[in-house]
Amino acid sequence: MAEDKRVDLGIELSGIRLRNPVLVCSGTYGNGREYAEWLELEALGGLMTKSVTLAPCPGNAPPRLWETPSGMLNSIGLENAGLERFLADELTWLSHLDLPVWVNVAGFSPEEYVEVAGEISRTGLAAALELNISCPNVKRGGIHFSHDAHEAAALVELVKAEIEIPLYVKLTPRCTDIAHTAAMVAAAGADGISMINTFPAMAVDIETASPRLGNVTGGLSGPAIHPIAVRMVWEVARAVDLPIIGMGGIWTWKDAVEMMMVGSDAVAVGTLNFADPAAPLGIVDGIAAFLERKGMDSVTELVDMVRGEDE
Amino acid sequence: MARRQCGCFVELTMEMGEPFAAAPGQFVHVRCEVPGLILRRPYSLYDVRKGSASLLIREVGAGSAWLCAVEEGCELDMLGPLGRGFSMSAGGRHALIAGGTGIAAIRFLATRLMELDGDTVVFWGVEGEKECGGLHGALDGEFDLRLATMDGSAGYAGNVIELFRASGTEGFTGIYACGPRGMLAGLAECIGSEGLARLQVCMEERMACGVGACRGCAVPVSSPPGGYLTACKDGPVFTGRELDWRRING
Ligand SMILES: Cc1cc2nc3c(=O)[nH]c(=O)nc-3n(C[C@H](O)[C@H](O)[C@H](O)COP(=O)(O)OP(=O)(O)OC[C@H]3O[C@@H](n4cnc5c(N)ncnc54)[C@H](O)[C@@H]3O)c2cc1C
Ligand SMILES: Cc1cc2nc3c(=O)[nH]c(=O)nc-3n(C[C@H](O)[C@H](O)[C@H](O)COP(=O)(O)O)c2cc1C
Ligand code: FES
Repeated sequence: MAEDKRVDLGIELSGIRLRNPVLVCSGTYGNGREYAEWLELEALGGLMTKSVTLAPCPGNAPPRLWETPSGMLNSIGLENAGLERFLADELTWLSHLDLPVWVNVAGFSPEEYVEVAGEISRTGLAAALELNISCPNVKRGGIHFSHDAHEAAALVELVKAEIEIPLYVKLTPRCTDIAHTAAMVAAAGADGISMINTFPAMAVDIETASPRLGNVTGGLSGPAIHPIAVRMVWEVARAVDLPIIGMGGIWTWKDAVEMMMVGSDAVAVGTLNFADPAAPLGIVDGIAAFLERKGMDSVTELVDMVRGEDE
Repeated sequence: MARRQCGCFVELTMEMGEPFAAAPGQFVHVRCEVPGLILRRPYSLYDVRKGSASLLIREVGAGSAWLCAVEEGCELDMLGPLGRGFSMSAGGRHALIAGGTGIAAIRFLATRLMELDGDTVVFWGVEGEKECGGLHGALDGEFDLRLATMDGSAGYAGNVIELFRASGTEGFTGIYACGPRGMLAGLAECIGSEGLARLQVCMEERMACGVGACRGCAVPVSSPPGGYLTACKDGPVFTGRELDWRRING
């Protein structure tokens, strides 16, 4: 196990101690319980929950999944049982584990975000919040909070005022300049950045000339998006001075190391969990072996090792 | 792992190192080592005996092609058994209806119902006799099997729901089905709302995690209205009344 290794894999993010820098992404590990019978959850660096909304959300019409070369499209549509059930059934269960939990919060209006975030913060059971801003603002004609950096920053400010735990903002490629969005949410008081969410994408069944997904479009994840995620983390790491949790198509320990080298302080494994729920633990071991081979003492040495010409 | 080809189907039999207890209708989620293919593939259990389990696979794409050609003796990376299987009771008279590879779950169910002293009739619909490669003959030795072929090459000429209807749908205490959406919808219509109370179906839906974590395999259910359950964890077997047939047909 990684714990036996001489190198130090522990990190600290916004005052939260993680035993290693490998978390699992929102929506790809349920709320942990689904995987508890398959592996030791406490060996993970941390867990980011499925998005929680104020009211129960039925989700989108099926089909919700489509596999593409080295990737997959999903249009789950934020299906979840709502805040009340999340607190009673999921967060309480999770809080008995020795595992830092980022609760991912979503909403369809600023008020909804604020209420959900505030309630979760007040339970004292979550280590941090992750704000999923890839949601339509129903009050503003469905424009995504993430679409407009000002909209995103205003939301961060409102939520920050209601919570006492660190706030990570989850950035999405659904924007024109991700470094600009990052700088705006940082100025609005975000404590950290997680990135990236899926790419808006689409696939068609040409035999029937119909979309593969019931929702027509969905989000692309998996190895197909990894190099784009690396580039975006690189840009954001240069624009803000906040901790970054990097994600997007991490498939091997090498991808994780690469993500850290361009500036992320930790990584999160997503789609890979579907192929192998224990993969995050293998990635931890792979990182440890790499550090030993390179003669490094701490995993934090990897962060930002790649420097641009002008630095 | 040992392989046997029957027409369009390949039967894979795995030696199980540990005790493997599974119910008919449960499935395993299998990793296929194809470059660029990332998700596991779900397969119903076809047979489970002491120390072994088998699957019945039809080649339809890259993942199943890899499974059909996997070298004998290889170890497969499988997660399972997963999901909720058929609920069974002792005795009774049962109609089991399979379309294509749906015969996998249905065969396992038939053997278990017979062990419970049930009187079982299996209706199996395929395109043509060639597709089966003699598998129907072998299975007919295990239980009462009635074949329907679309091309009329063997058994009843036409679809399996017509064959089932022609045999009289009333006399059965339980009706169980596994097959394509269209077949299941046709069956639900054929037996009407009274029949739905006796119906259990195995729903095939595309899957990612296979354990209820991603909500990707949503199946429309009647309660709550407009809601969904997961095929992988809440199913794949559902009762006829649990499902919202209007949205399944639509
Ligand atoms: C619970 C369950 C039990 C199953 N049991 C069996 C079985 O016993 N034997 C068997 O041969 N197949 C079974 N299937 C279907 C099998 O999982 C798919 O055929 C397989 O995933 C196809 O993978 P592929 O890479 O070969 O094809 P792909 O290239 O992924 O797809 C080829 C074609 O198969 C269809 N397909 C893909 N995945 C599914 C799916 N999950 N359900 C239905 N259609 C699908 C696609 O729409 C496409 O038309 C089962 C599916 C489920 C959900
Ligand atoms: C099936 C699925 C469901 C997801 N659900 C959520 C979600 O509820 N909230 C969220 O912020 N991100 C969600 N994501 C995005 C992931 O957390 C992650 O940002 C993205 O998939 C990129 O990482 P990956 O390529 O390693 O999967 C989901 C992704 C997938 C594949
Ligand atoms: S496949 Fe993930 S919930 Fe069913």
